[in-house]
Amino acid sequence: MAKIFPLNLTARAAAIVPGNPVTTRLEGGVGNCFPGLEFDHRNLDRRFFPGLVFAMGSSTGAPLVAVDAADPDLSPAKFEGLPADAPPTAVQTALRLALNGAEGQALGEGGWSLDSIAQGGKTITLSNLDGMIAWRLVRSLEPGPVDIVLTRAAGQPRRITLNGWRRRFVSTRSGVISEAYQPGELTQSLCSPWMHDFRDCACTYWASNHPDIVLGEQALGADPDPVIEETPIDWLRSDRAAARTPAAEGTEAGNRDAQMDHYEINERWQDLSMVLQGHENSRVFSPRDVEAANPFASTDGLARELVKLCKLEQTVALEYLYALYSVKDASQVTGKNFKDAVTFVRHEILAIAVSEMRHLRWANQLIWELEHAGLTTQKFGPELGLSDKVPNEGGERDRALRPLTPAVLTDFIAVEKPSGTLDGAYARVLATLRQPQYPEALKQLAERILADGMQHFTRFREIERVLAPFATGNPPAYLQNLTKASKAAGKAAVDLYKGILADLESAYQSGDMEDAARIADARAAMFTLKNEADKLAKAGTGVPYF
Amino acid sequence: MTQLITLSGNPPSHTPEPPPRWRLIDVDRPGGRPLVFVVKGSRLFGVERDLFEALQAGVADAERVLMEAVGETPRGQDFAARLPEPAAISLNIAQSCNLSCTYCYADEGRFGGKAQFMAVSVAFQAIDRLIDGAQGRKVTVGFIGGEPFLNREVLYESVAYTRERARAKGCTAGFSATTNGTLINADDVRLLRDNGFVVSVSLDGGAILNDRHRRASSGVSGFDMALSSLRPLLENPGKARVAVRATVARDDLRVAERIEELAEAGFTEIGVSPLRTSPDARLVLRDDDWQRLLEEMIRASEREWRRVRSGAGFRFSNLAIALKQLHAGSAKPLPCGSAANYVSVSAQGEYFTCHRTIDDARFSLGSTADGLSMRQRESFLNARHVDRQEPCRACWARYLCGGGCHAEVLSAGRSGCDYIRGWLEYCLEFYDRLLQEMVLRERPDLLGREVI
Repeated sequence: MAKIFPLNLTARAAAIVPGNPVTTRLEGGVGNCFPGLEFDHRNLDRRFFPGLVFAMGSSTGAPLVAVDAADPDLSPAKFEGLPADAPPTAVQTALRLALNGAEGQALGEGGWSLDSIAQGGKTITLSNLDGMIAWRLVRSLEPGPVDIVLTRAAGQPRRITLNGWRRRFVSTRSGVISEAYQPGELTQSLCSPWMHDFRDCACTYWASNHPDIVLGEQALGADPDPVIEETPIDWLRSDRAAARTPAAEGTEAGNRDAQMDHYEINERWQDLSMVLQGHENSRVFSPRDVEAANPFASTDGLARELVKLCKLEQTVALEYLYALYSVKDASQVTGKNFKDAVTFVRHEILAIAVSEMRHLRWANQLIWELEHAGLTTQKFGPELGLSDKVPNEGGERDRALRPLTPAVLTDFIAVEKPSGTLDGAYARVLATLRQPQYPEALKQLAERILADGMQHFTRFREIERVLAPFATGNPPAYLQNLTKASKAAGKAAVDLYKGILADLESAYQSGDMEDAARIADARAAMFTLKNEADKLAKAGTGVPYF
Repeated sequence: MTQLITLSGNPPSHTPEPPPRWRLIDVDRPGGRPLVFVVKGSRLFGVERDLFEALQAGVADAERVLMEAVGETPRGQDFAARLPEPAAISLNIAQSCNLSCTYCYADEGRFGGKAQFMAVSVAFQAIDRLIDGAQGRKVTVGFIGGEPFLNREVLYESVAYTRERARAKGCTAGFSATTNGTLINADDVRLLRDNGFVVSVSLDGGAILNDRHRRASSGVSGFDMALSSLRPLLENPGKARVAVRATVARDDLRVAERIEELAEAGFTEIGVSPLRTSPDARLVLRDDDWQRLLEEMIRASEREWRRVRSGAGFRFSNLAIALKQLHAGSAKPLPCGSAANYVSVSAQGEYFTCHRTIDDARFSLGSTADGLSMRQRESFLNARHVDRQEPCRACWARYLCGGGCHAEVLSAGRSGCDYIRGWLEYCLEFYDRLLQEMVLRERPDLLGREVI
């Protein structure tokens, strides 16, 4: 019995403990993916039941791959002088006779797999489990008695029950591994190439260079294709032909069959695409304009631009909100596709308008942060005014509340176009905020606005695509008649709108946008405004915001 | 098998009896086991009581069992084949002080001479030699005195110069300052914060305890002066670390109260040191004071135990440092790094073994103009090796204590050895208690390194 206990670190370091440290035990090893890089436990467990060899971790259950009637653990000689390791003699004899007799012969014919394992009064059925799970359950068996049932599904269905024991993998006396294992058997799967680990690793070791779901490659020079922009695809897909790229399934299992498998990835790993800004890319990468944009010379210049952008954000948000009510709702059209199309379009336009309102808030926050940090020489915000002009293809147009005709939709696409005026302006804002004198958070805010802007563009393109089949006729079939409400009819709505602006102006004045009460008031008023707008729309009129 | 302990170097020829190999420490708390502290390698073991009693009785079999179980004797406490250049220096930039503490070893900073200020060229020369000799290791430059903030200009320039030179040579630089705290202004606070200074403040306790000996010449309270200057640093130390050290003179041996008062003032690392040498001999601890001081140290440590038990961290640094060293099994043949890893530079640019020995020719190690004398360092350290000291070589605690402060021992001899042993024995028992009742249960982080 121990009488001496090391306490401090030097005592622990000096104290001599017999045997190898626990970290050198086979079962203490850490596998990296399966097959492992250090030790593959499956090679140990494949012979967990003396006399039989299973394939562990294969696609389903645990198939029997061989009968080894000469397994030394079936012989009493193996355990001479080792009573602690020895199975009960009767069990050993019965198993040896069974595997050398009729049962062994039947099992040798093939097609068998492990149906269940039982130990300590508990039985677990493995037959329909995933191979990895079946293996995990076998792995949890303790040394000692085990009963197993094997079944054969093909040919003549049959069941065989065998009473045995879980092998002691190493001798308790010598620490030597059971000689049932053939030379090379324990290491047979260890020379796997790195690609296997790359393919299978489930612990996100490869996370940064192993994306799962990506977006496809956009054609060079052209405006981005909204379908590509919005369709997630599986990065590991085996069929790399662009024309046949389907959308990825929502689950790992759903994508598994169409992915490169082990042998294939050994050969073709270099075909996997580089992914930049979420997109696969096979050519020389050309950065978006933001990389090349010129920073503003002064913070005041930056703030002045943000003021302009605030006005523009609000103006386009109102144009979108107005146009939304010119699209018929589902009750006004017939046919499932048409109903789906207008429901989708109304939802999308509202979502874009809401997003523009969020940009209005963020742009105001940028102004406030710049002022608060003492970076501007004068006060610029908050800005809740409107812009007279809106950028257009090749120039500017007057702001206008208009129904969503194809021409108006083209205008909307133009203002949100990547590297268009709005996008280009934010690119300059971002380029400025990337300079070291500005707080990091501002840069991130500008990046978010820029990324959202890209989505607006693709969403409008998607709207155009969805409406195209229903755009026949003049006016197009999806449109309903909409004119600006008279001053008197629109007064309730316009008053609400002005109230919202007053609340926001007050909220944006104070601190770090922390006047939550005024913002909450503004939000509540927006719901009432929506009800008013719905009412007006029923009469074929829209809110006369300006 | 009985293992003979091999002494480092040549043992004196008049060996009366072999040095002790271990120390037996009985532990009588419920559930506790007696302890054996093995001197070589500072290894601590718990043992069953029957074995402990057999060891007490000197049973040869029991000694054999112990020596077999404790394993290999670790590497001896010899010096490295060649002394490396020091990685730390202190610059006595102001051998003068604005306070006139009654007990000061430095005699108001003048070290018995006249008030002097270090020239910036001397500081730069010492820094150059330090960084050149460090060969890429981290260097530490300390500023002491006197009161270093009396020579603020040289302090600031030295910090900037050290940074610049360290960057050029690819090594990192740390800084420390020992100060009475009374002169620190807002710029100084910024300097200390930004450069991650380890600031060691000398204060003896609250206003009454402190001002008894630490006197400002103007008659105002030295405690109030220090606290008002240090307040911003204590409230927001930035990268700096602030520790306080109280000197315990024989006219008031209380420890726990000093800690309470200094903690109250905002300090989180509080240490004490007994007064062993002083121009005023009436204040120096005498033989019959040591037992009382030990009782005070234990009383303060038991308060600390209750604090830590309730979830707090350590603040009594004498105890915390002792526990860390016992945990790591620190075993050293010298009491400190002086003359080895650390030397001090006088205002005139002379090297001395440490800041306590400035301008004492017995401790001279050369000059910044000519460089450190390796021969003088080696001969000093060889002479000071604890195995060559009496009565140290017969003491079980010699590799924990290292033989006591060179400056104090050489000027006043060794006193209070029973106090040191009593304190270390108490700390060993405290360590075992901490291990069993806290570290191994819910607070594995307490000793800075996980213990399972």
